[in-house]
Amino acid sequence: MTSTSPDAPDVLDGLIDLERGEIDRRIFSDEQIFELEMKHIFGRAWLFLCHESQIPKKGDFFEAPMGRDNVLVVRQRDGGIKALLNTCTHRGNAVCRAEEGNVKNFMCTYHGWTFGLDGELVGVPGMSSFYRDELDKAQHPLRQPAQLASYRGFVFATFDPDAPPLEDFLGRTGRLSLDLIAERGDMEVVPGIQKFVLNCNWKFTVDNVFDFYHPQITHMSAIAVGAIPVSTDAIDDGGAKNEEGADLSVPQLPTDAENVVMIAQYGHAISGPSQHAVEKTAGEAYRDVFAWRHTPEAEVAFGPEGNAVGGHPHIFPTSWITVDCQLSLRIPRSPGVTEVWWFSFRDKKAGPAERAAQLARQIHSFGPAGLLEQEDGENWSQSTLQTRGGQARRVPQALKMGLGHGKVRACDGLHIIESPVNEYAQLWTYHAWREWLTGSSWDELRERTTPGDLL
Amino acid sequence: MTIELERGADQTLLTQMLLQHQVERFYYDEAALLDAHRYDEWITLFTEDTHYFMPLRRTMPRRQLHKEFTQPGEMAFFDDDHLMLSLRVQKLSTGTAWAEDPPSRTRHLVTNVRILSDDGAELVSESHFLLHRTRLRDDLDQWVGRREDTLRRDADGFKIARRHVFLDQTVLHSQNLSNFF
Ligand code: FES
Ligand SMILES: [Fe+2]
Repeated sequence: MTSTSPDAPDVLDGLIDLERGEIDRRIFSDEQIFELEMKHIFGRAWLFLCHESQIPKKGDFFEAPMGRDNVLVVRQRDGGIKALLNTCTHRGNAVCRAEEGNVKNFMCTYHGWTFGLDGELVGVPGMSSFYRDELDKAQHPLRQPAQLASYRGFVFATFDPDAPPLEDFLGRTGRLSLDLIAERGDMEVVPGIQKFVLNCNWKFTVDNVFDFYHPQITHMSAIAVGAIPVSTDAIDDGGAKNEEGADLSVPQLPTDAENVVMIAQYGHAISGPSQHAVEKTAGEAYRDVFAWRHTPEAEVAFGPEGNAVGGHPHIFPTSWITVDCQLSLRIPRSPGVTEVWWFSFRDKKAGPAERAAQLARQIHSFGPAGLLEQEDGENWSQSTLQTRGGQARRVPQALKMGLGHGKVRACDGLHIIESPVNEYAQLWTYHAWREWLTGSSWDELRERTTPGDLL
Repeated sequence: MTIELERGADQTLLTQMLLQHQVERFYYDEAALLDAHRYDEWITLFTEDTHYFMPLRRTMPRRQLHKEFTQPGEMAFFDDDHLMLSLRVQKLSTGTAWAEDPPSRTRHLVTNVRILSDDGAELVSESHFLLHRTRLRDDLDQWVGRREDTLRRDADGFKIARRHVFLDQTVLHSQNLSNFF
């Protein structure tokens, strides 16, 4: 089971126990593990950068993270897209300090080296007087990731020349995840990316994507004021009590019985309520919101299994697609610090009323002031804080819900588990995460992250 | 003659000072409500047609500075009508709004109050704020920025008919915005 390259020392041994559903908490605070993540995950995986609609005109750029690197995603003169590492090849200074905008070229404000939209070094002050015309400009362009590709307008890049093509990396599950935005129409990003910094390990934010155990407690106040549409006829008598010992009536979400789990190669996964459960919960008022799911085109595009998916896909390592047409990117800054970005999408052809309603839902759910995410952030940061103690670190993290009952149905290139609320997708993500860190080849990685029969 | 003129000037100045005092007093009372967690009273300061808006700010080069803030209809941190703002207030009083339980300790400091225009019924004012927050054991957040309000006169004084909050930060260094500005 444990195969290690010289780069992946014993530190990885015993971190993830799929049989027991236990995880070593060191993975949330260990500096050495963080370095391995930067190298083997963020240095190799295809990473989401931006959507093409954010840079429609030549010279448009958007600065995006790739691990600890920052790249400028730039619309080229010929309409193509390139990503350029935002570091001057002279002394390393940023060649651009704006987060988005439009330029004719990138002039470094240290000594004036100037780079074209394609990253070529086109200007060097003092070329003849100081450099005696001996500097070979062709040797010093801005560096680029090894590969860049788009899938239906979503731009990704990888630093690994050997990485499989983007569509293969995404696989059926990853493509389906992005289709849940792309199939809605002629999609564009709403201007403005919410960006905020949390004191948490990035893996807590990912774990939470699939967690349908938490909304009933974490988001109780949001449910109480009707910010999450929930038919709360079922109340759980299972056990939450308040500080005075009184039963806290916990609304059992109807998603309890109707979950769709898809686990996939490289660690991608989808886990959450089915589309049927989402619509049943949301009720009549949301009928128009989901109308797009029932067009013949969408039903054909998604296929029978895809039609069942209500939401919460995650593209490994850090991109989450929400039910309301947003993509959340979680950017690790250090073991205890993560920056969260929210990209919100809309259909260019939607009418003003539809646009306004969707934007309102997007603003009021997630982001730091969102009625939901206000509470999430605190869970993640407190979990990070409280798992890093010398003793607390030794308490195994428990992911046992449904353990051993996850019968995997292989179907049409997908791996599906039918189950009530569960922790399969989290466990799967940690398993895949562990396999990435061993530094194995792409073939090995693919093989070891191909689901078996049971979880 | 000269004396008359000066008296007239004094009168104008006194009127301005009085208004300045009323507006500042309004803001101090509002800040006191927020810092005392008296949100149910705070929400009564807003008109039914209010717009509580906090756009995103982006790091832009000087020549594109006009695009620095997002506009209504684009992404924002807050884009609330009265109903939405009331929902936020109600959420706090459910007893299960964990981001504010234990509650944040906040200090709203309001300063640089300037009345930009006044048509008798409504006035537009600008104020600067420092919102200092501590949370739990040692969480510490600070937000600094500018508010632009439309204050509508009514029998009891003023109501906030519009509040646009412009933060000085681009990337927020706080894990939530569970407080009001
Ligand atoms: S560092 Fe960029 S020109 Fe010197
Ligand atoms: Fe949540």
